[in-house]
Amino acid sequence: MNATSYYLTTLLVYLGVDILAVWALNLQYGVSGVYNFAFIVFQAVGAYTAGVVTLGSPSQNGGFQHYILGWHLPYPLPVIAGGLVAGALSVPVGLVALRKLRTDYQAMVMLVLSVIATLVVENVTGLFNGPAGLSLIPQPLTNGVASSSLNYQWLYVGITAAICGVVYIFVHRVTSSPLGRALRATRDNEAAAEALGKDVFRLRLFIFVFGNAIAGVSGAVLVQFIGAWSPGSWLYVETLVVLTAIIVGGTGNNAGVMLGALLVPLAFNEATRYLPTIGRPGLIDALQWIVIGLLGLVFLWFWPRGIIPERRRRFARQAARTGDAPRAGEPQLADPVV
Amino acid sequence: MIVSASVLVPSIGFGLVTASILALAAVGFTLQFGVTNILNLAYGDVMAAAAFIGYVLNKHGASIAISLVVGAVFGAVASLLLNRCLYMPFLRRGTKLFGMVIVTLSVGIIIQNALLAIFGATFFTYKFSVGSQVHVAGMVFNGSQILIMGLAVAAMLLVQVVLTQTRLGKAMRATAANAGLAQASGIATDRVVDVAWLLSGALCGLAGVVLVLNTSAFQSTTGNDFLVIIVAAAMLGGVGRATGAMVAALVLGVVTEVAAGYISPSFKEVIAFGVLVVVLLIRPQGIFGQAAVERDLA
Repeated sequence: MNATSYYLTTLLVYLGVDILAVWALNLQYGVSGVYNFAFIVFQAVGAYTAGVVTLGSPSQNGGFQHYILGWHLPYPLPVIAGGLVAGALSVPVGLVALRKLRTDYQAMVMLVLSVIATLVVENVTGLFNGPAGLSLIPQPLTNGVASSSLNYQWLYVGITAAICGVVYIFVHRVTSSPLGRALRATRDNEAAAEALGKDVFRLRLFIFVFGNAIAGVSGAVLVQFIGAWSPGSWLYVETLVVLTAIIVGGTGNNAGVMLGALLVPLAFNEATRYLPTIGRPGLIDALQWIVIGLLGLVFLWFWPRGIIPERRRRFARQAARTGDAPRAGEPQLADPVV
Repeated sequence: MIVSASVLVPSIGFGLVTASILALAAVGFTLQFGVTNILNLAYGDVMAAAAFIGYVLNKHGASIAISLVVGAVFGAVASLLLNRCLYMPFLRRGTKLFGMVIVTLSVGIIIQNALLAIFGATFFTYKFSVGSQVHVAGMVFNGSQILIMGLAVAAMLLVQVVLTQTRLGKAMRATAANAGLAQASGIATDRVVDVAWLLSGALCGLAGVVLVLNTSAFQSTTGNDFLVIIVAAAMLGGVGRATGAMVAALVLGVVTEVAAGYISPSFKEVIAFGVLVVVLLIRPQGIFGQAAVERDLA
């Protein structure tokens, strides 16, 4: 029974992290049409930051790992720091990548950035400890509760849920406000949004930074739970998992992408880690990736708007007059595009 | 840092070999983009698949020449099928530019992991003799490197002749410039697109086999690892421009190898990326490209 609870709590924390991630990427990709294929890099940055501001001096434990800072910040400062650093790093990246590039160029540049970031991290051992990454990252708020106990597991589930709640307030404020409307306008028709006086580049830069800050927070939550960080677990394909979750759940819909987070990264990626190994080592991993790829293709083909599609938004007066179904020939807002 | 000829000249030699492989790959990549406007991120994985097909043949005693030919044919057929059976249907269904990026990336992940599932996570090597060494102006090449460079030069000449001297090439360039107008002018654009994917796929397969001929060992991710430099070369040359990709491949091949000689081989991709960022900042359309405007998909 204990083992089941342990397993369940671990999955719940992963789910919380995945939900934060899909909200963040959905703000960028789903709501604003910002094609951030480097998403995982910012999650990793947040995680790394949370690690190094809690690990203490690099010389402890015989100085077996190298990293910067080495502070001892009290909770929840490490999580906030993770978000701030990821957000700050997004500014120069966004300034370069979000310029007037075609959307697929943007995606490609971000993708390449993600690959390069992994390469750099693995090769600059002084900064990031190379491929080994960080370990022994202390878990927060362990006063009085043994960090390996089930009670602590549930405590961490609570912390994760609380952070999800706080982040949701921010996410909801953005998507339900005039700002969200402006972002959707830039996604659906960039030229029209610009003609109405919206500064498309600034809007995109804002959501890029904002989303990546949430990504940083989610990385921080994860790393403080598992206590380790290595560049190999933040490869560019992980961004594709988050994207697939968004597409499956419902692009542009906060509730939909939550469902996506439950279905894709959790059910496929995390739960299968506990399956017995069949065949040669790595076979399950390979099959899992094939399934993720197929899932994305199948949904883009059959249900490009996802399980819970984005609500079609209409002017209030028009919606009241026509009921739910729009009359033929009436001007409508464009369907969201993939 | 003192630039000594003892490092510089051999590095340029390596650079020429890398440039040859890169030219084959980048011209194929850029052709696919030019004619159909699809950035095929599965390209590196098709390269790897061709390399594995060649490997299986080689393991059963086939010569390198057979592996090269079969690799090229496989690349051509696989690319044609990918475009006909997957990419085009998605486009017709109204999938937009970024949706296509997700589609091609998903296809790449599927191919890469299928290779991993079939062959396992170990390294592979072709069995062949690299041939005797040849010294040219301080640079040392082995037989297989000479072969790679010869193949690349021949293929580039062929592509250049096809694109500029034949009716087919003219039709291809017309389709790339404006598919609708080309069709209205009586060009069978569907056939032209097929031929373009066959040709670029053949280059892709060939590039896959020569890429692994030139590395000591390869695995399922080898093709995808090379994609960063291919993308950099294609963008540097102006996406869709074959000549641009050739020149960019030469520049990037030599620059990355020389940098690898002086700094560290692990920074090759980082340097390619640096070049890419500078190009995007200064001249987003590439050195030879015209303005990269958002145009209709073919």
